[in-house]
Amino acid sequence: MTARTRSFNEVLLSVENISLSFGGVKALSDISFDIAKGEIRAIIGPNGAGKSSMLNCINGFYHPQEGAITYKGVRRSQMRPHEAAEQGIARTFQNIALFRGMSTLDNIMTGRNLRMKTGLFWQALHVGPAAREEIEHRQAVEKIIDFLEIQHIRKVPVGQLPYGLQKRVELGRALAAQPELLLLDEPMAGMNIEEKQDMCRFVLDVNDEFGTTICLIEHDMGVVMDISDRVVVLDYGKKIGDGVPDEIKNNQAVIDAYLGVSH
Amino acid sequence: MFYREAGQFKVSYAADQAVFPIAQDRIAMLALLLIAFLVVPFVASEYVYRAVLIPVVILSLAAIGLNVLMGYCGQVSLGSGAFMAVGAYAAYNFAIRLPFLNPFVCILLGGFVAAGVGIAFGVPSLRIKGFYLACATLAAQFFADWAFLRIKWFTNYTPSGSINAPPLEILGVDLSSPTANYIVCLVFTVVLAIATKNIVRGHIGRQWMAIRDMDIAAEIIGVQPMYAKLTAFAVSSFLIGVAGGLWAFVYLGSWEPAAFSIDRSFQLMFMIIIGGLGSILGSVLGAAFIVLLPIFLNQALPPFGALFGWRISTATVSHFEAMIFGALIIFFLIVEPHGLARLWSVAKEKLRLWPFPH
Repeated sequence: MTARTRSFNEVLLSVENISLSFGGVKALSDISFDIAKGEIRAIIGPNGAGKSSMLNCINGFYHPQEGAITYKGVRRSQMRPHEAAEQGIARTFQNIALFRGMSTLDNIMTGRNLRMKTGLFWQALHVGPAAREEIEHRQAVEKIIDFLEIQHIRKVPVGQLPYGLQKRVELGRALAAQPELLLLDEPMAGMNIEEKQDMCRFVLDVNDEFGTTICLIEHDMGVVMDISDRVVVLDYGKKIGDGVPDEIKNNQAVIDAYLGVSH
Repeated sequence: MFYREAGQFKVSYAADQAVFPIAQDRIAMLALLLIAFLVVPFVASEYVYRAVLIPVVILSLAAIGLNVLMGYCGQVSLGSGAFMAVGAYAAYNFAIRLPFLNPFVCILLGGFVAAGVGIAFGVPSLRIKGFYLACATLAAQFFADWAFLRIKWFTNYTPSGSINAPPLEILGVDLSSPTANYIVCLVFTVVLAIATKNIVRGHIGRQWMAIRDMDIAAEIIGVQPMYAKLTAFAVSSFLIGVAGGLWAFVYLGSWEPAAFSIDRSFQLMFMIIIGGLGSILGSVLGAAFIVLLPIFLNQALPPFGALFGWRISTATVSHFEAMIFGALIIFFLIVEPHGLARLWSVAKEKLRLWPFPH
């Protein structure tokens, strides 16, 4: 498969001069890039480059000391995580962050909690609006379960599932929110080749079928170069490259960052 | 052999999401309820009512309440005795200050007051977790013990501090007989247990469990921790408060603050740990276990001693009781840390295959 060449013109999210530090440690310094609507944007870089910190800033989990993030035309310097969720930003985690005591179905249903509005009283009676709402959202969730081919583990507590399936359930939970921007933190880490191929297929299908904009962090360069439209490279909290995969492959600063150079 | 769901096809999501999707479970639960409502009143003696049935039924409700908070939302609480006391004293104050209200309406209102107090003492949970939260809820317990002993207004300035419940009746029908007491408590517990089950299987229950299992991930998919935790505190305290009102009005009749001491908080916590965290059925099983075990030991120890020619005095029996009780709890936690409810589901799984091994 060769790199896809697609063009995008509408910017969904842009990061402007973000700086984030923890005490004396500068995790991100003066980072700017943008994510276009409908593209697959990869963030790569060696370990400790600040990739996850970048995602955490985008979805409001960290608050950068400097800079601002413009999402859908609204400029913010700070956002709380659930506000980000309400704005249509969903994510998965590098270390799986599922609700281990709950079944696959319940985990994915939880992804729709922002769309479920009936109050405690109707919930307690479980008739009328509460029952209708539960069925409606179940139908939506079943579509995701079909899409991700996890029908057989619907009722299994996720704590009992193998790693690869847990990653898939976590993607399902993020998809259940029907996000406009999906942040994936190392969706293929620790997977074998078949699992990686499945996951790539899901990521591409989500992008094609639902038009979801995807921003992913990944260490497998083959995957990154194949599926992403544009790539931003971080190293030691600084941006060292930004462009389409072919440019990144030939960028000397990127090659140096990965291979190491003698200074 | 009798517990097979083969051939039971679910053709709608509603059927798949039912509380008891398997027909045998539905029938068993229905039979249990029919026995509890229609058979027990004809066979139970007054002793059985006072010593076993009424305490089990009321404490089941309180245990369900604590399970909402600890088992479903993962917030440790040592203040359940306090919330029972708030429910009881609030119901009492409604009854004496608004005498036209039915005592059972007062009990429900008491539950709402307990929910309010629960929310107030739940606020620290927004910042602290685990043992630290347990300490904060412990403060609720000590505060309630102090308030109901020292603030005389709550006890309507009775000199001894002991207060009496109003006579129990609904529309002129006297409900003071043990049978009527039992039925009333059973109605409260069954109705509220069903309501709680409905909440925990809906989106509010899923928010609670999401907070319990991984609060950061929950927040990132849009659960508001404040809303989720405080609703859990409110629902939990409401149930515990209603149980406290029933305990005071129906079971005790007259009581003093010691009735809702910290021992009660610990007792409820043992019930849900032994019964099973995060299970409505487990709350009931745990309550039954904790109430029945001392009675069983009390009855069984003297004849057991007689087998070996020992004469066991009542004092010795009560010592043994405490020792065996403690040992059993520890044994239980080691052998089945997920409680009686898990044991029950393992048994059901075995029963599906029986008589084949797998």
